[in-house]
Amino acid sequence: MSGAPLVELSGVGVRIGSSQILRDVDLEIEAGEVVGLFGANGAGKTTALRLIATLIRPAQGSGTVLGADLSSAERYDVRRRIGMIGHVPGIFPELTLAENLRYAARVAGVSTDRVAGALAAVGLAGAADRPAGAASHGMQRRTEFARELMIDRSLLLLDEPHSALDRDAVDLVEGLIERKAAEGGAVIVVSHDRDRVGAIAHRTVDLVGGTLT
Amino acid sequence: MITGFWHQVRAVVDRDLLRERRQGDMLWITIPFGAIALLLIPLAIGTDAVLLREIGPGMYWVIVMLFGVLVAVSRASRETLPQQDASALLGLDPAAGFVGRTVSSAIFLLIFEAVVGIVAIGLYDISIIGIGWLALTLLLVAAGLALLGTLTAAIVNSSSAGTALVPLLVAPLSVPLLLGATQTYDGLQGGYGILSWVLLMVAVVLVVAIIGVLTARPLQET
Amino acid sequence: MEPQVRIRRWPWVVIALSLAVAFTLSMISPADSVQGDLVRIMYVHVPSAWLAYTAFFVTFVGSVAYLVTKNLKWDRIAAASAEIGVYFTGLALSLGMIWAKPTWGVWWTWDARLTFTFIMFFVYLGYLALRRTTDDPIARASRSSVLGVLGAIQIPLVHFSVVWWRTLHQPPSLIKPDGPAIQDPLMLTALIIGVIAFTVVYVALMVKRIELIHLDERRLQIEQSIERPVAGEAVTAPELGAT
Repeated sequence: MSGAPLVELSGVGVRIGSSQILRDVDLEIEAGEVVGLFGANGAGKTTALRLIATLIRPAQGSGTVLGADLSSAERYDVRRRIGMIGHVPGIFPELTLAENLRYAARVAGVSTDRVAGALAAVGLAGAADRPAGAASHGMQRRTEFARELMIDRSLLLLDEPHSALDRDAVDLVEGLIERKAAEGGAVIVVSHDRDRVGAIAHRTVDLVGGTLT
Repeated sequence: MITGFWHQVRAVVDRDLLRERRQGDMLWITIPFGAIALLLIPLAIGTDAVLLREIGPGMYWVIVMLFGVLVAVSRASRETLPQQDASALLGLDPAAGFVGRTVSSAIFLLIFEAVVGIVAIGLYDISIIGIGWLALTLLLVAAGLALLGTLTAAIVNSSSAGTALVPLLVAPLSVPLLLGATQTYDGLQGGYGILSWVLLMVAVVLVVAIIGVLTARPLQET
Repeated sequence: MEPQVRIRRWPWVVIALSLAVAFTLSMISPADSVQGDLVRIMYVHVPSAWLAYTAFFVTFVGSVAYLVTKNLKWDRIAAASAEIGVYFTGLALSLGMIWAKPTWGVWWTWDARLTFTFIMFFVYLGYLALRRTTDDPIARASRSSVLGVLGAIQIPLVHFSVVWWRTLHQPPSLIKPDGPAIQDPLMLTALIIGVIAFTVVYVALMVKRIELIHLDERRLQIEQSIERPVAGEAVTAPELGAT
């Protein structure tokens, strides 16, 4: 496997409902890379992330992620190694922050002992028993970062990771990104903040008119 | 692999029960509404005790059916897309998700059946014969409705007009459960054989369970 | 670019001819000794009911085939057949009711077959409603084929339950929904030819309906191939006061 790109898309198009969101997307991401992905509102950045996360099937073209063909059932086997933090948190508001992480750990098959450590690492040890719905947006995002710390991911997909985060949390996120890359994983960071993401990304791509330029 | 599967099922069940307990829709809205429905019927058709005793069990089962559909609808709109994405990326087997959601729905339905059943016995003076068989019937109806509801919720999921559609899809398919339940009750009262009805309900549960597990993956494809 | 969708004319001719034959036979066959001309409803009612069951069976076959092969061709067949099936089920039910009122004095009777057909009507109405909820051909096909399979496998169970329900606790009903026993050979011939003619109509309608689905997909394709502005250009400054 060594040397094979973690993400390889060639001529991929994505349709949602009756509209074509992405077309002719070619992208190759090697292990250890941090890639910044820029685009205007509605350019298809979120769709591109969901595509790479194997959550949407390509309508045209072909691609592999972590060696799994995006159009085949193989993709179910690699999902556990892909972490994604979207701009709407994927956590359950009725559960506390700790309960959300415990659920994630149990489904992913990692020890629930890691929950306390992960919460402490993102600075939420004192808020563990707060219902996620009552936590601020920034705290919800930190909880999602804690989830990614607990589970070993090879690929991290971050949608606007800097929004709603204070200075400490931004440092935390940037540390996580660097560590993931150093460990031989890859990170894709979606943003419109060119300066900030440009500083940490090894290279950047632009999504314009549904395709990468 | 199998232990991993059931491990995931239990995680989903615990998650759903906890969410329900915190949110309390079921406890504070659906169950009282079901009980009020039982109260409305005599107001509309008259309060003759003999008549009520006769129609009571049937009314009870109709209300269980219709509210079973409501539980299914509320579950269809329960998980947002980011929540589903997050669970999928934890490596949640779609079939384990289906089984977990079904089990938690069935538990809600059993609680609903029990509470509304007590109200029905009180209001309509329903006689109880063959409590073991009745308990089995309650269990089969809860399981069958939970399966149908969870499966149709998965079928319509991610289509925006989805949730309004669930009742239309579940109601006709739940007819064998309704007839099975009412006929089992009548059979126990009148001393007829009920085995074929029980087996029919078991067949419904098995068929929908198998279809649900086998189609869990294809249904995730958006 | 895909080739143009072929528009066939022969189905219209076939439909017209078949209906003309069926209509002529139903008119020249004798009136019933008891029911008089009312019996002629049977020449549409019975073939419609037959078509309803056939059409739903084809939907089931198409749904299974789609789930196995993932070929959209099967989904089109399932969809077209369900639509035609719902139409003929509705026709059979309403004609049955029109016939029942003067004959039995009621619009509806809780006969097993009537009840069952009515439930089946709703199952496939739900199937069609589900298809309307999304435009995406793949999502629509996988969702509706699961429902097509679920519906078709549940239907025998619904059927058993309704039949047992009517036979176990009620004396068999005196009025049979089959209508009168048919003795006259001309009536029987008219009925059989009617069933055949309606089956031919079904096939012709399927051809046209699938053609229409192809046209619809083509329209979508053309719409999508037109370059649209990206979001940044589509969103313009609001014009205040322009109401």
